[in-house]
Amino acid sequence: MAEASRLVVPREPRLKPDRALKHGVLLLASFLALVPTIFMVVTALKSADEYTTNKVGFPQVWVFDNFRTVLFDSPFFAWMANSLILAAGSVVLSTAVSCLGAYAIARMRFPGRSLLFSLSTALMAVPPVVMIVPLFVLYTQLDLISTYQGAILIYAGLITPFSVYLLTTFFRTLPRELFEAARIDGAGDLLILWKIVLPLSLPALLTLVVVNALYVWNDLIIAIIFLQDDSKRTLMAGISVFQGRYDNQIPLTMAGMVIASAPMIILYVAFQKYFIQGLMAGAVK
Amino acid sequence: MNPTARFTPYLYILPLLALLGFVFGYPLVRIFEFSFKQVRGINGPWIGFRNYELILGQDLFWQSVAHNLLLLIAVPAMVGWSLLVSIVLYERVKGWKLYRILLFVPYILAIPIIAVVMKKMFQFSGPVNDALNWLGLDFLALDWIGSSDVALWTVMLMIIWRESALGIILFLARLLNLDESLIEAARLDGANWWQRVRYVILPQMKVVIEFYIVVSVITMLSSVFSYVYIMGGGRGGPGTSTMVLELYIFSALVKISLPGVASAVSVLLFLVSLLLIIPLFAVRRRANEEEVGG
Amino acid sequence: MAQEYGTNGVSRRTMLKGSAGLAATAASLGIVPLRAARADAAALNMWWWGEQELPGLQAFVDDSVKSYTAAAVKPMLQDTNVVISQFQTAAAAGKAPDIQYLWNGIYHMESVWLGYLQPLDGLVSDEVVKASNPTLLSHYGGHVYRLGWYPQPMTWSYNKDVFEKAGLDPENPPKTWDDFLAACDKVKTKGIAPVGGGIQDGYWGEWYFGHGLSQNIDSTGEAIDLFTGVRDFKDPKYHEHWVRLEELKKHDFLNPDMSSLELYPGIDLIVSGKIAMGVSVGARLPDDSKKSNDRVGTMVMPVYGKGKMAGKPILDAQGLGISKDAKDPKAAAAFLEYLNSPERLKVFWDKTHWLPTNSNFDTSVISDPAVKKMWHDYGQSENIPYVSNVVPGQFYDNAMVPAAQQVVQGKITGEQAGELAAKIAKDWRDFNPDMVDHYKQWAKDLA
Repeated sequence: MAEASRLVVPREPRLKPDRALKHGVLLLASFLALVPTIFMVVTALKSADEYTTNKVGFPQVWVFDNFRTVLFDSPFFAWMANSLILAAGSVVLSTAVSCLGAYAIARMRFPGRSLLFSLSTALMAVPPVVMIVPLFVLYTQLDLISTYQGAILIYAGLITPFSVYLLTTFFRTLPRELFEAARIDGAGDLLILWKIVLPLSLPALLTLVVVNALYVWNDLIIAIIFLQDDSKRTLMAGISVFQGRYDNQIPLTMAGMVIASAPMIILYVAFQKYFIQGLMAGAVK
Repeated sequence: MNPTARFTPYLYILPLLALLGFVFGYPLVRIFEFSFKQVRGINGPWIGFRNYELILGQDLFWQSVAHNLLLLIAVPAMVGWSLLVSIVLYERVKGWKLYRILLFVPYILAIPIIAVVMKKMFQFSGPVNDALNWLGLDFLALDWIGSSDVALWTVMLMIIWRESALGIILFLARLLNLDESLIEAARLDGANWWQRVRYVILPQMKVVIEFYIVVSVITMLSSVFSYVYIMGGGRGGPGTSTMVLELYIFSALVKISLPGVASAVSVLLFLVSLLLIIPLFAVRRRANEEEVGG
Repeated sequence: MAQEYGTNGVSRRTMLKGSAGLAATAASLGIVPLRAARADAAALNMWWWGEQELPGLQAFVDDSVKSYTAAAVKPMLQDTNVVISQFQTAAAAGKAPDIQYLWNGIYHMESVWLGYLQPLDGLVSDEVVKASNPTLLSHYGGHVYRLGWYPQPMTWSYNKDVFEKAGLDPENPPKTWDDFLAACDKVKTKGIAPVGGGIQDGYWGEWYFGHGLSQNIDSTGEAIDLFTGVRDFKDPKYHEHWVRLEELKKHDFLNPDMSSLELYPGIDLIVSGKIAMGVSVGARLPDDSKKSNDRVGTMVMPVYGKGKMAGKPILDAQGLGISKDAKDPKAAAAFLEYLNSPERLKVFWDKTHWLPTNSNFDTSVISDPAVKKMWHDYGQSENIPYVSNVVPGQFYDNAMVPAAQQVVQGKITGEQAGELAAKIAKDWRDFNPDMVDHYKQWAKDLA
């Protein structure tokens, strides 16, 4: 009898408690993941007075003044502009340098090729904080403190090992025939790189841009040390100043945090796929 | 091959060498140099190993090291939680794609923002404690931010909260690539959920788990500055309970103007990070192979 | 509130365009930036701080720069963290700004010893120097290194309404420690926290130290001896202030969220009547007075100590100095003198609603009687220096603040705080042997 029923092989019954448990775990995990964001938004809509008595619940009265104060009376836009300049500048510089370098490592023969690649990759494990003392001293001597170009140089350097690693591994997967065909047609390396390799590398490049831009956008320690002029302050450095200045006005602080996270959240919702892929690839950061 | 071709590779790698040399090469050499000097401002006299003597004999230095090491406890917690959630996600219950989107949100928020929000949430008379008291869990309403005994664990909690999101996505990606027939076969053999996980799923995830562990360990040593800077009021507080090596170096350079000491600690941190390069290479290679091969 | 980031008329959009334009210019000019200078006028660089603690100061600086015609002054607001290190590193590289903002005491004294600052006597006229009230802690070896800019009376605040509720005389805050404890008892029975504030960011610990240590010393030099090793923190009178803090903790007089609350939110609790008394700072009084309808009073820390400095009001002042790298020190001095002209002093008051230190400032414009009284007690009567200003940075971060924080938590006793202080003072001597002799000389000067 047992034999016979085994042969029939019923599908695993969709037991309600089993499914409920799974949903339960996921709901709990999602709740935990979202609760700070929810708190941030909900609190930003409260008045300072209301927050003192009602910290946990929804606001009785929705107040938008905090957002107005943040948007128009504080330098959040200036800070974001600075962060944008730095992210754009360092990503452009690093990508250019890395493309050239990775192409040579992946496709050309020269002595020291694998050593260079190993060294560059190894640098991914070196903590950035280790560079700051000598660079700070050097920059002071060269008048590069509080300059965009100075900070862009540092950021570009820090994100390049990862860029080289990703691009080299990608370039290596491109079929030889592609290059041979192009060379037979008389194309030089630069042309091959520009017209053939890069267009094919768009997914890798996009990943690179996402991961690297995020790294620069989110950085705090380099920004604090190398961009000391108030007018060059980045968003993250600005946040640490903002929360210190208004630490007694929690809803206002939260409004500031909402504005500060808005760009990322918008981009995430629009381009989830690239975000997720890119951040997975850039896990070391 | 035309004669100019021999020089071309060098032209291509020149910018790379220049950039890396400037941002990594120069500082890495100089931290050794500064660490043997008593630096005031931009230079100073040679003092041999004195800086090392001083930091190795200083309570604060060892406290920083201890705190970094304590943060490593977060790693098994992150791995465990990420595995659990990703495996449940893998069951692909209805709406799993939405869950996935929501679960990744912690990772896209910048750390300073998270730290500011959580600092307000976990204040002693703040919402978290209010909620805990309301639920009757008074004993859990600790002084999350203000107590030297608890503050580091609060930081750890934040790190776990954020970094797990990465783990979940990483593990899920691997799971989605698994050969389903093996799992199905196990189920037909009568294996229950736990047995399927333990004997079929986990062994196939060994590589990505190792990768995640190495990456997380590196993070605990060298990327917690933002959490600690904001949570600890910029000086590793309360007391010195959240002082970590990155903050130690930052303070030594910026707050107490002792670049020589900061360099000595930088050297030590650098040497430790070298130890992690080998496992990093190994797991990256294996992860790549797995992607390409299976 | 709109003045907080006071760029005085420059809209966010302009700043945005300005930043972008600057970037483009910088990029096109190459690696080394050029310094813009008017062809005929001297160019002065001024690095400063203070908008963070005195909103409106930026407006004052911008206005002064605009109306000063003898030189093109380029001001730069610094981040709190790097005011000193940025200056010192630049000075070591020979690139210090002409004019530098200087916190009092050790915060600029170190730069004096390292040769980064010029004496002002000889550059700025004696009467301007004297009128600006640089305070005792800006003097070394017979020279003055700062002009005073704006004062910071270091006060204790108390809430008059809470006093009344507890049956205490709102115009007569407790003067002795015993009276103080009795007052705390009375306040506590009304369910209000008697004393405290917020110590999470550490400054409360610094301010408390300044008030507390003074009570048991006769001169500032005596405090400096504690760091050079001539005197020891383990001696009971030098850590009695932490023992007293422990006493407050044991009696449960401190507000329970003190450890996780920051300084300013903590003082807000005094203003709103949730705490009765606590450390505060003078520049807050105009706002606090207004917000509470004049129900916030100023008091001196109740006395338990037996030193000559016990019970006296503490006055600190922020200042400006001239660096050794100034190409035209006379031009820099001229600008500083300009800032101290009567017209500028009035503009200072208009922009910041706070007074400058200069004794030529016409105090009749102060309408708030509480502010008037405070300035009379602190600025125009006998006062003592703020001894936290002689504390070396390492001691500040590793002992002064953590000691107070841990006593407040109940984690260590006052005596253990003294031991921690002694240990860190020794650490400081080990890490900074080149500074110890300077400190010793300074102690002699201030004895």
